[in-house]
Amino acid sequence: MKAFPVRRAIVGLASASAILALTACGGNVGSGSSGTEESYPTKPINVTVGAAAGGSTDLIARAIAEGASEDLGVAMPVVNKPGANGALAAKEVQGKPADGYELATLNASLITITPLAVGESEAVSIDDFEVITGLSQDDYVMVANPEAGVKTVEDLTKKDGLSFGTTGVGTGSQLAQALLLKQADIKGTEVPFDSGAPAVTAVLGNQVQVATVQLGEAKAQIDAGKLVPIVVFSTERNEFLPDVPTATEEGYDVPVSQYRAMVAPKGTPEEVKTRLKTAFENTFKTEAYQQFNEQNLLTPKEISGEEVVTEWTELAEKYKELTEEYGISLKES
Amino acid sequence: MDFLQPVLDGFGVVLAPNNLLYCLLGVLIGMLIGVLPGLGPAATIAILLPLTYGIEPVTAIIMLAGIFYGAQYGGTITSVLLRLPGEASSVVTVFDGYMLAKKGKAGTALGIAAIGSFIGGTIGIIGLTFLAPVVAGFALDFGPPEYAALALLGILLVATISNGSKTKALIAAAFGLLLATVGRDVFTGAERFTFGNLDLADGIDFVPVAMGLFGLGEILYNLEERHRAAKAPAKVANVWPSRADLKQSSGAIGRGSVLGFFLGILPGGGATISSLAAYAMEKKRAKDPSRFGKGAVEGVAGPETANNAAATSSFIPLLTLGIPANATMALMFGALLIQGVTPGPQLVDQHPDLFWGVVNSMYIGNILLLIMSIPLVGIFVKILRVRAAILAPITALITMLGAYTINNSMFDVVLVVVFGIIGYLMKKFGFEPGPLVLAFVLGSLLEANLRRSLLVLNGDLGGFFGRPISATLLVLFVVVAVWPMIQSLLARRKAAAAVDTFKTKENA
Amino acid sequence: MNETANMTSVPAGPDEDLTPEQLAAQWEAEAPPAGGPIANFAAAAVATVLGAAGMVLSLQLGLGTPSQPQPGLWPFVMSLVITVLGLAQLIIGRKGGEGEKFSKLSWLVLFGAATLIGLVALMPVIGFEIPSLLLCFVWMKFLGGESWRSAVLYSVLVVAAFYGIFILGLGTTIPHLF
Repeated sequence: MKAFPVRRAIVGLASASAILALTACGGNVGSGSSGTEESYPTKPINVTVGAAAGGSTDLIARAIAEGASEDLGVAMPVVNKPGANGALAAKEVQGKPADGYELATLNASLITITPLAVGESEAVSIDDFEVITGLSQDDYVMVANPEAGVKTVEDLTKKDGLSFGTTGVGTGSQLAQALLLKQADIKGTEVPFDSGAPAVTAVLGNQVQVATVQLGEAKAQIDAGKLVPIVVFSTERNEFLPDVPTATEEGYDVPVSQYRAMVAPKGTPEEVKTRLKTAFENTFKTEAYQQFNEQNLLTPKEISGEEVVTEWTELAEKYKELTEEYGISLKES
Repeated sequence: MDFLQPVLDGFGVVLAPNNLLYCLLGVLIGMLIGVLPGLGPAATIAILLPLTYGIEPVTAIIMLAGIFYGAQYGGTITSVLLRLPGEASSVVTVFDGYMLAKKGKAGTALGIAAIGSFIGGTIGIIGLTFLAPVVAGFALDFGPPEYAALALLGILLVATISNGSKTKALIAAAFGLLLATVGRDVFTGAERFTFGNLDLADGIDFVPVAMGLFGLGEILYNLEERHRAAKAPAKVANVWPSRADLKQSSGAIGRGSVLGFFLGILPGGGATISSLAAYAMEKKRAKDPSRFGKGAVEGVAGPETANNAAATSSFIPLLTLGIPANATMALMFGALLIQGVTPGPQLVDQHPDLFWGVVNSMYIGNILLLIMSIPLVGIFVKILRVRAAILAPITALITMLGAYTINNSMFDVVLVVVFGIIGYLMKKFGFEPGPLVLAFVLGSLLEANLRRSLLVLNGDLGGFFGRPISATLLVLFVVVAVWPMIQSLLARRKAAAAVDTFKTKENA
Repeated sequence: MNETANMTSVPAGPDEDLTPEQLAAQWEAEAPPAGGPIANFAAAAVATVLGAAGMVLSLQLGLGTPSQPQPGLWPFVMSLVITVLGLAQLIIGRKGGEGEKFSKLSWLVLFGAATLIGLVALMPVIGFEIPSLLLCFVWMKFLGGESWRSAVLYSVLVVAAFYGIFILGLGTTIPHLF
């Protein structure tokens, strides 16, 4: 909620009028031959998001599109196409013409974690995309109900019979929590919820005692003292929770965060990529975008496309090794 | 007055120009479809669901609610003037309303109906205002077992109280629950009934199902319906009822408010049943029942008050417990889910702006309706002349293109057509689509919470009875399941005893 | 199919002064006749078969135990309920009397549904404009019994209005040709 619908309306209005002005009446059926001879871009650039409107991925895509569209001088309408953790949208963008007018905001978990939980058909490879730039990092935090009487990972190892909520199958929350429980030899029942909010509510009501959720979903309750933060799963301390130790500090090998990046279909021309990269870099510098990150508790991770590919590929391998080493299967609760 | 603060803030929410505009839009659309025979409020809300995507949750629900209670008003107009009930909930209004119109008192009938509706709606809102915080007090005690029990109870109630064959209603409900299992299992990640189709991996979306079953299904069904020709409408004069009329109907309005309020809360109840019940009650209470059907003011006041009170009070189970009481409320439930808001005991605490905004919008909406309904009568009568043959393809196309815009997906459009055909066939074969949609909405909630409960309770089903709230709900469930059997047993014994004096008539 | 236009009007008789009971009776008489035993058999059989198919598919997913449920357990229970209720309905409703009989007018629905399927098939290929225009025209002219002139006129107006709203106004990505 908050203020985004207003922004959405403005973006929508802007894009609608831009479509009117720029494309006059060009159909969108079987299009493919768009003259990229003139200086790119000459028409609106679609940004596909594999999540519903209002979620954090969607908000990030809208924030970045808003800034970049100003820099590029064309509208950048965000198209939501939720489904299958984002695989549906990713597969669709893969098949779009590589002319720089079809972009997508991709979640790292789709590349690194989802393949561990689902069959081949849904797996998406980062090699099928041109990564333009990394965006930001969203951290997972393990929280407990104050009545559970646990404040540290060590406390958890001494308790028996606690239940641990996750935000669903194939998510970073599930992976991070499963790895920690296994490595620290904590006994407990894993209880998957549909998303972060119900998991947080369940911890608040002591229906489950502990849950691992994204920071933004629990920050208000942590600040109000209704939830006790136990550990964050980023490799370095989170700037918004400087007093909470990381799992790495506690001696566990659980480097799990959510990352997001802007991508285009494979084969997008170099000069188009460069132009887009400049636009995004200029957006990163704007105060509005930086404020957006701050408000949504996102840590900027504005690394180059090559770095994103290397990091995500390494993470995917790392997670695969870890799950095999500790005998964890994300397919079973 | 801490207690009243959120209520007052709610008025602030409604009076925001944007929300006020959508409230007005909602009641206008509602009145319009109430006037037009054919599409009902459920179908209209289903068709317009895509419209709510781009707007804020509060605004969206304010508009949809406006359609719902606005339709109750609109239905009255055609019942009185043309003897055509625009809505099922206004059927009984025809009897005395049209007679009044024939006596040249059409204005009186409409005026009484509007005033009664306003009072009925207001009583509903006041009840909602005081009941909701009580339920919300239990919010955090609601864990997986309580939600599972609540969903189970809600589905059973709607399936058993609906019209028509109970067995068929239960089949439809079970089918809705089965349909809700399509897609990835939340607990194991296994794919169920997706047949390798990536579009189905996240399950079937609620909106195309609702748009198909309620919207397109109804449009197709209307293709073969014979429409009664509109007659020349009666003249509307002296809209304000006389003091004597008001005095005569004040009792009916009071009783209708209370009756409608309670029947609206009951799952499976709602506007139609309460208007029928109110008419029956007024006729029974009257000193001279023979006046009914010949233009008795109470015969308009009672049902019209009751249907609006019920329309408002049916929001109570939805907004406080997360259990939709009827098909229209199931659509509201879906609309809220789309917006990322799960209706339930936490709603009042987590989204006070939404809760009180919607509740208070009904107050404002009722005033808007009161002001608008009478001057607009002339326009509505003109709209009635637009031929169904021209409206049908327009509504069909709105449905199809609207469905596409939700997820920018052709697959959703295909789903709408498939469920539209299913919806039509269900109607023809005597299956209510309501229980199916309702069970579909509650299906994943029910399964997930049932399994979550078993995880938390270590697989012990008896644990449900160890928790006071879930135990109470389950006892209620058993009572509801067994009650019809007891009732029919009692009825049979009674009938056997009194077989000579009168025949029992079953309510079909 | 032109007769449908005339069939939509009910003869206006001397029914002005009917009592509520008479009016209700008249409406009852006008309502389409209820379906017979065959309709009940078909409906119940379809439910039973769907339930049975659901059970088979659920079994393939694995049932597990109540405390360690596999993904198939819950759908299996639901399918079982459908099957049992379907069989019960075969007996309960064997005399018919529920739902509505199909009439000559039901062909209109079949025809309408076919045009909708056509729209869905053609939309991704040639955009929504031409299929929508055809659908409007067919529904108005052949299903609704409008005159040629008004059917053509209104169809064009409707599609133009939709183009204006969905493509120009809202800027949606609905497949469009122009």
